[in-house]
Amino acid sequence: MPHRELAGMDELLDGAPCGFVSFDDSGRILRINATLLEMLGRERDELIGRHVEKLLSVGSRVFYQTHLFPLVRMHGRAEEIFLLLQPATGDHIGVLINIARREGDGAGTYDAVLVRVRERQKYEQELLRARREADAANRAKSEFLAMMSHELRTPLNAIAGYVQLLEMGLQGPVNEKQLEMLERIDRSQSHLLGLINDILDLSKLEAGGVEYVLEEVRLGAGVDAVAEMIEPQLASKGLTLEVVVSPELTARADQDKTRQILINLLSNAIKFTPAGGAISIRGGAGAGAEADADADAGSNMVFLSVHDTGIGIAPEKQASVFDPFVQVHEKKADSPQGTGLGLAISRDLARGMGGDLTLASAPGEGSTFTLTLPRH
Amino acid sequence: MPQDILARNNVRTFGSGTQPMLFAHGFGCDQNMWRLVTPAFERDYRIVLFDYVGSGRSDAAAWDARRYSKLDGYAQDILDVCHALDLDDVILVGHSVSSMIGVLAANREPERFAHLILIGPSPRYINDAPDYVGGFERADIDGLLEMMDRNFIGWANFLAPAIMKNPDRPELGEELTASFCSTDPVMARCFAEATFFADNRDDLGRVRVPSLILQCSDDMIAPEAVGAYVQRATPGSTLRQLAATGHCPHMSHPEETVQAMQEYLAVQSIP
Repeated sequence: MPHRELAGMDELLDGAPCGFVSFDDSGRILRINATLLEMLGRERDELIGRHVEKLLSVGSRVFYQTHLFPLVRMHGRAEEIFLLLQPATGDHIGVLINIARREGDGAGTYDAVLVRVRERQKYEQELLRARREADAANRAKSEFLAMMSHELRTPLNAIAGYVQLLEMGLQGPVNEKQLEMLERIDRSQSHLLGLINDILDLSKLEAGGVEYVLEEVRLGAGVDAVAEMIEPQLASKGLTLEVVVSPELTARADQDKTRQILINLLSNAIKFTPAGGAISIRGGAGAGAEADADADAGSNMVFLSVHDTGIGIAPEKQASVFDPFVQVHEKKADSPQGTGLGLAISRDLARGMGGDLTLASAPGEGSTFTLTLPRH
Repeated sequence: MPQDILARNNVRTFGSGTQPMLFAHGFGCDQNMWRLVTPAFERDYRIVLFDYVGSGRSDAAAWDARRYSKLDGYAQDILDVCHALDLDDVILVGHSVSSMIGVLAANREPERFAHLILIGPSPRYINDAPDYVGGFERADIDGLLEMMDRNFIGWANFLAPAIMKNPDRPELGEELTASFCSTDPVMARCFAEATFFADNRDDLGRVRVPSLILQCSDDMIAPEAVGAYVQRATPGSTLRQLAATGHCPHMSHPEETVQAMQEYLAVQSIP
């Protein structure tokens, strides 16, 4: 570059609102602009030819040698790295530095641009602090939920126990009307216990405290057992249930948790299918999607899908059905109640066993929830 | 088992020689740092590169806080790699903290190693008044840890994801992944503390393998007085002063570094 142009370049750099320094592979400073000199409170003559790390605080020098220099030398550049400058007098100055290495005549030249981060540093610290606080609050909430749920179960068990004692007539005869009321208390108690157990499950899942006992699970037998259990609910709404699951279909999973997922899926299907509708359960090898049968046969996964003829779920709401505390259907006075945790828990459990829980649905065409699990 | 170690430490071997030359990277880096010097040795040696667990592309799942909070844990990585590849007559090239890690490994199984090449070694970074000057006070190391926190947690973890999504600059995210982000902040901090709070002065006297010390000029991490100390304290060591400045001569001045290594090895191979 002709000398005159170089001088013009220096002038341009001196006027820039950010610091600029260039140095060679040995770290020797070749050029430094007025803005950076002013930040440092030094003269140009003091610094030309000195090692660039001399501009930095001691901690930043070590960081430069152990992280930044290797990064720029081997990758050619580094962006937005935070370092502290060591001015001639006064406190360290926080800067963000961008460096690029140019190669010419077998030697490297590094150009670094430095921006003060007073404001940005404040925001960044504020964001970090806010995030840490949010994380801590979220943890505290989970712990509180777990603790409360646990505490709430104790009085509920007492209610159930005393209802039973009353029903047995140990304290004197109970008339028909009273028995009916006791049964209502008992039903409400079980419902409430179910909700609390959901919250407790979710807290455990969030805290990673769930243990899985993986063993051979016969899915056909599992479905039959659950179907038998929900028979009364099906009958009361006049729903039909069709099951197409081979008795040989086995998964490597946790028996109880698989059952819990199935109960949840079927309860949901019953809740959201209008009277007289149909629910079906299919099972097989593969992931359950409309993939070709050959691929499915060789797959190391098995699936169970529960299909209902309910109102279905709009595409934009499908992603959030698995979020805890979310219920995608608008609340109406007579609409089904729940914590909105069932699907979140079920999917977490499925993933905890190495499987997954997915949804396919269209409004008016019902919903299909597919549970995949590793094949045994 | 050997396969597990090779994957765990991301081991790479190449070169057409038979004698193994095992390169151990320093704190803050990974095996890529050797890229400028290995070509000079490929013809005559079998080059072995690896990443310590917790660095580079090692298997982070194998990291263990207790093991990797002491340099001995890292020395075990070197020995694990030697065992997995059944290496003998090894020339171990260690940069910075890996000089001391190499010393620890060689003291445990001296029969495996032919030479140690120690680039910028320091047996203790923190001053121990009145007799030992390592170059640092504890507060200086705290300053480093703060820089790491700011650039790992403050930056890489928090803000980098936003930039990584920047479709105009996909290489940006990639680079960070390849350098800072591949090292977990917790693991990096653990390595930093194991490195800078270590005191391996007593281990130098136990070295039974001949060694070359490459001392840079104007190296603030391993000053010349420390290099001289290492040479005095290590039996069978040779000190070579480089014109290269800074702490990473194999990256800043690869030719001079290669030449110093080759000259040392040539002299040693004369019967």
